[in-house]
Amino acid sequence: MVLEATMICIDNSEWMRNGDYAPARFQAQADAVNLICGAKTQSNPENTVGVLTMAGKGVRVLVTPTSDLGKILACMHGLEIGGEMNLAAGIQVAQLALKHRQNKKQQQRIIVFAGSPVKHDKKLLEAIGRKLKKNSVSLDIVDFGEEDDGKPEKLEALLSAVNNNDSSHIVHVPAGPNALSDVLISTPIFTGDGEGGSGFAAAAAAAAAAGGVSGFDFGVDPNLDPELALALRVSMEEERARQEAAAKRAAEEASRQEKGEQPSNSQDTTMTDRGSIMAPEAGNKRNDLMDDETALLEQALAMSMDDPKSGHSADSDMSEATAVDQDLAFALQMSVQDNVNDSATQTEMTKALGDQSFVSSILASLPGVDPNDPSVKDLLASLQGQSEPKEEEKKPPNEEEK
Amino acid sequence: MACLHDHNCEDHDCSSDWSLYKHIDLPKVSALNEAVSGSVKSVFKAWEQRLDSSMQGYLESNEGDPELLVFIPFTSDVKIKSISVVGGADGTSPSKMRAFLNRDGIDFSDAQSMQPVQEWDLVENFQGLLEFQTRYSRFQGVGNLTLHFPENFGAETTQIHYIGLRGEATQLKRDVVATIVYELMPNPSDHKTRAESGGGLSHWSEQ
Repeated sequence: MVLEATMICIDNSEWMRNGDYAPARFQAQADAVNLICGAKTQSNPENTVGVLTMAGKGVRVLVTPTSDLGKILACMHGLEIGGEMNLAAGIQVAQLALKHRQNKKQQQRIIVFAGSPVKHDKKLLEAIGRKLKKNSVSLDIVDFGEEDDGKPEKLEALLSAVNNNDSSHIVHVPAGPNALSDVLISTPIFTGDGEGGSGFAAAAAAAAAAGGVSGFDFGVDPNLDPELALALRVSMEEERARQEAAAKRAAEEASRQEKGEQPSNSQDTTMTDRGSIMAPEAGNKRNDLMDDETALLEQALAMSMDDPKSGHSADSDMSEATAVDQDLAFALQMSVQDNVNDSATQTEMTKALGDQSFVSSILASLPGVDPNDPSVKDLLASLQGQSEPKEEEKKPPNEEEK
Repeated sequence: MACLHDHNCEDHDCSSDWSLYKHIDLPKVSALNEAVSGSVKSVFKAWEQRLDSSMQGYLESNEGDPELLVFIPFTSDVKIKSISVVGGADGTSPSKMRAFLNRDGIDFSDAQSMQPVQEWDLVENFQGLLEFQTRYSRFQGVGNLTLHFPENFGAETTQIHYIGLRGEATQLKRDVVATIVYELMPNPSDHKTRAESGGGLSHWSEQ
């Protein structure tokens, strides 16, 4: 619970538009700043925090060290991005702001977010560091954003010039999936020197871990909030059950609709476009060749319901079968149709096929299908009706043809 | 102004004169530009131990920077007659001393720009027998003392082994505003006007 006055130096230069830290560098930085302010004011009520920006038109102090968290958070809104960061001036202005703190008993600390490349040379930074050390000001550096060659070394040199008895720290945060604030929570910048973590930091870390990748189910720690976790789990189960019931209902609907329109579907389109043909299903179909057509269809449907996605694209098998036997071809085609017309797209598919112009255009685009072929024309005509007798009509033309 | 101890120390106990160190608020003593944080506290000790720095160490400045600033608060107001400083060997002794009285939170830029209450040119004082007298009239009622050592005798760092203060301690505490209560909302009973409190001529009296 060190009594501390902190000045936070924010980088609001053009480099902060970059999106390699979610959601953008600037927002990630702002989140981290808010978190730090909260942690500092919570760890000791007499702590004060101030904020200044280093880029823009020049170094500007947004709020002088105050213990009013609301004032600090308010000034973080509406910050503009632009200009170039001036690290040296920023640190010096921060030092001046700390010098004029109201409570002289507070330790002085500066936290710098260095996102853009550092254009000052090492000597200047080391001189600044020595001056800070001489006036017993601690410095925390957050190195993120631009990975300029020489930038880590410069910042490390600055740190070693400032560091007095391990009171100053540096953190390098590479771009990645973790939020900037989450990474900072576990660093000494938050936990303080050897305090082992204030309550705020520990709670924030737990929340971050729960919400993040380290994965409690549903992102809620059952220890922290058992009721919420239970509610989430129950609702997930209910949703799953509901979806299964819906799927079953749709499947039943599909089977009913299938029986209604068995002969009239344009299998050509589906055959070439979709890939989930079932080789095993084709094999089984051969056994049922002698059965009635409806029985055959029902079996195809059953197969499709049991095993919607297990097959590979077996176009070669399909064409082979077509050459062998027309009935088989029909059955196969319809089985393809079944697979395609699963519960979700059932109605859409039938509508699409009902649109004759659409079907004819697709047929025209297919290789080896001549729209002027009488059988194809009959097929198209039958699409209008969608009834059993049409099927018989179609069959003789097909047999003639082959 | 330096004075040499020109009497025999066997006659009387010199240490009783240099007992102001007992009135120093030692936990609140601080220094700027010290190499080891907290080492400044070791230089305030009894006169007999002024040359013995093996136990607690001594105050040393950072490498390459001989400036030192020592802030000494007292538990009660004191009157300081003279100051003695024992430095280190090989040019590490401070060569100048500037004193500021009753000021909080002085740092190096302040110390360099402000006019001190008094300034001395020091000499190397390895035995601790030299003392530097103050303008006593100015050093009455001292609540805290800040000593600034800007230079030394040529070494890279400045070492101070002992700082002795001679004078008297009063039992008084300096006038400090201890508690301030800020009003968030005005309390009307605190702000009675003269008319309301019944005093003074009333403007509504018949003329």
